[in-house]
Amino acid sequence: MQRPIERPIGSPVECLDTPALLVDVARLDAAAAALAAGCRVEAWVHNTPAIAWRQLRASRAVGIAVRGVAEAEVFAAAGCQDIRILRPLVTAASRQRAEALARSVRVVAADDGAPLDGADSLAAAVSVSARVTSAPEPGRAITDCGQKAIGQDFGPPRVLGRSDCRASAGSAEHGVLDWQADGSGARPFALGEWLRLAPADVATAFALHDFAYGIENGRLAAVWPVSGRGAFQ
Amino acid sequence: MIGTALCELETPRLVIDLDALEHNIGVVAAHYRGKRIRLRPHGKNHKSPQILAMQLAAGGTVGGVCAAKVSEAEVFASAGAGNVLLANQVVDEDKIKRLAAIAKRVDTIVAVDHPQQVERLAAGAEALGAVLGVVVEVDTMMRRGGVRRLEDAVSLAQRVAEAPGLRLRGVTSHQVPTARPPSRAQRFAEGGACIERVLAAKAAIEDAGLAVEIVSTGETWTYDVAAAYPEVTEIEGGSYVVMEVPYAYMSEFRFAARVMGRIVERLDDRRALGDVPVDAIGAPNGPPTVDGEPDVAAERIDHHGVLLASRDGPLRLGVGDCFFLLTHQQDITMNRWENYLGVRDGVVETIIDAPARGCVH
Repeated sequence: MQRPIERPIGSPVECLDTPALLVDVARLDAAAAALAAGCRVEAWVHNTPAIAWRQLRASRAVGIAVRGVAEAEVFAAAGCQDIRILRPLVTAASRQRAEALARSVRVVAADDGAPLDGADSLAAAVSVSARVTSAPEPGRAITDCGQKAIGQDFGPPRVLGRSDCRASAGSAEHGVLDWQADGSGARPFALGEWLRLAPADVATAFALHDFAYGIENGRLAAVWPVSGRGAFQ
Repeated sequence: MIGTALCELETPRLVIDLDALEHNIGVVAAHYRGKRIRLRPHGKNHKSPQILAMQLAAGGTVGGVCAAKVSEAEVFASAGAGNVLLANQVVDEDKIKRLAAIAKRVDTIVAVDHPQQVERLAAGAEALGAVLGVVVEVDTMMRRGGVRRLEDAVSLAQRVAEAPGLRLRGVTSHQVPTARPPSRAQRFAEGGACIERVLAAKAAIEDAGLAVEIVSTGETWTYDVAAAYPEVTEIEGGSYVVMEVPYAYMSEFRFAARVMGRIVERLDDRRALGDVPVDAIGAPNGPPTVDGEPDVAAERIDHHGVLLASRDGPLRLGVGDCFFLLTHQQDITMNRWENYLGVRDGVVETIIDAPARGCVH
């Protein structure tokens, strides 16, 4: 389990212990406002009740959609009133849990016609911070953001703000940055340098972190527990 | 949940075959019994002090742990690991202070590959009145961290030896086989060449008049190769504990970790959807392998589940039936779960907590 980063609200984003899952609040709210009216927000993507609330508040969504009954329990406990469970409930125990939940919130176990939305629009708001921990040869740097911090299930991440370098798949604990070291203009990464990476898949990044950090104007604005992380059943 | 039959549980779950786990731990412990070389169990592979305790109790170990991250080292040091080797570089001030705080409680060693890391570590250790052990990481083939040239290993070792708050302990390296799967001869040739490279760094540092007490190298695929070199003091091993499909060539070890799922929908005669999403197992190297069902393939896996398909003829799995998936990268899989179910003879015997899950800091 991750410990929350103990930095005061207002701290510069570069001060947060790396790797940190960052959510640009302005972009999150813009994406939420653009959600289709009458849709269900795909909350399983982030599994973060605080983000679901922002999406519901900024849009005319009818409710949320989650994958299984355990995720539904997390969002119901956070106060979400209308929850569709996407996965068929094939065991008696899972049906009983859904029925128990249905005593306090609306639980929808079949397609109710509300379109699903919000899986793709979150991407522009999400990044993971990293720090260069090793600069072992010209044209290559190693970061502390490996597959366990950003995911590789849908491909390697992209370095934000740097088109002159490439992030490779790296390995479980290390990220790898490569650039042309032949003097063609790429700026080398320095040891200790802070950077941000865009994950190839946002849901994978959320599935790896216990906390997401809301960032406004380059500063920490909110700490959000990813409460549904690991609620696989 | 204890005493419950596996097939009665809600899915997906990560289950550990306790017989296989104990077998695997026993194989390495027996191999190192009576030898100078020791196992340094890698905590990144299981994230669990409970499994570390089993490894330490089996014998043949350094009595401590290997960690990939400072936060992981904190979990294992708090849970009673006698010493810690952080096989990674640390550069930021806050993490260095946390590492120095661990060093005040247990013998703590960290890897370096750059003079700036040495400066920063020395400043942090001195500020807290701690002594940090340091090993020089030598790149042997991966082009990841690690010094590239022997003269850099020597000059870095000299800097460490002169730095306040630091104590030079030795050298470390990590390597993976290029042939997949390698033959036994390829393993010994390629693994041996990597180990000879880190031993060359040890010799060069000793020629400069410095003592090299630790030669720590990894990992499972060279545990027996390394034992043939008397100068290697420890092997950082972890994949062997629960195993993964690409390691099947290490046939002395058994698969101990499986993600149990259940069929939730039949698509047609030969295909069905299972309830294991990709985030419950991780698939950086492609879909997992279906255990015990050679005619069934996991054709695709995404956030909503896994598509199982019969290679030939109708699929025998129906809605509600359980299946078991084998991972292709076990530490990625283990890191998706807060706890694992320890199972023997199809019944849950224990719940294994993994408090270092998610410790990426």
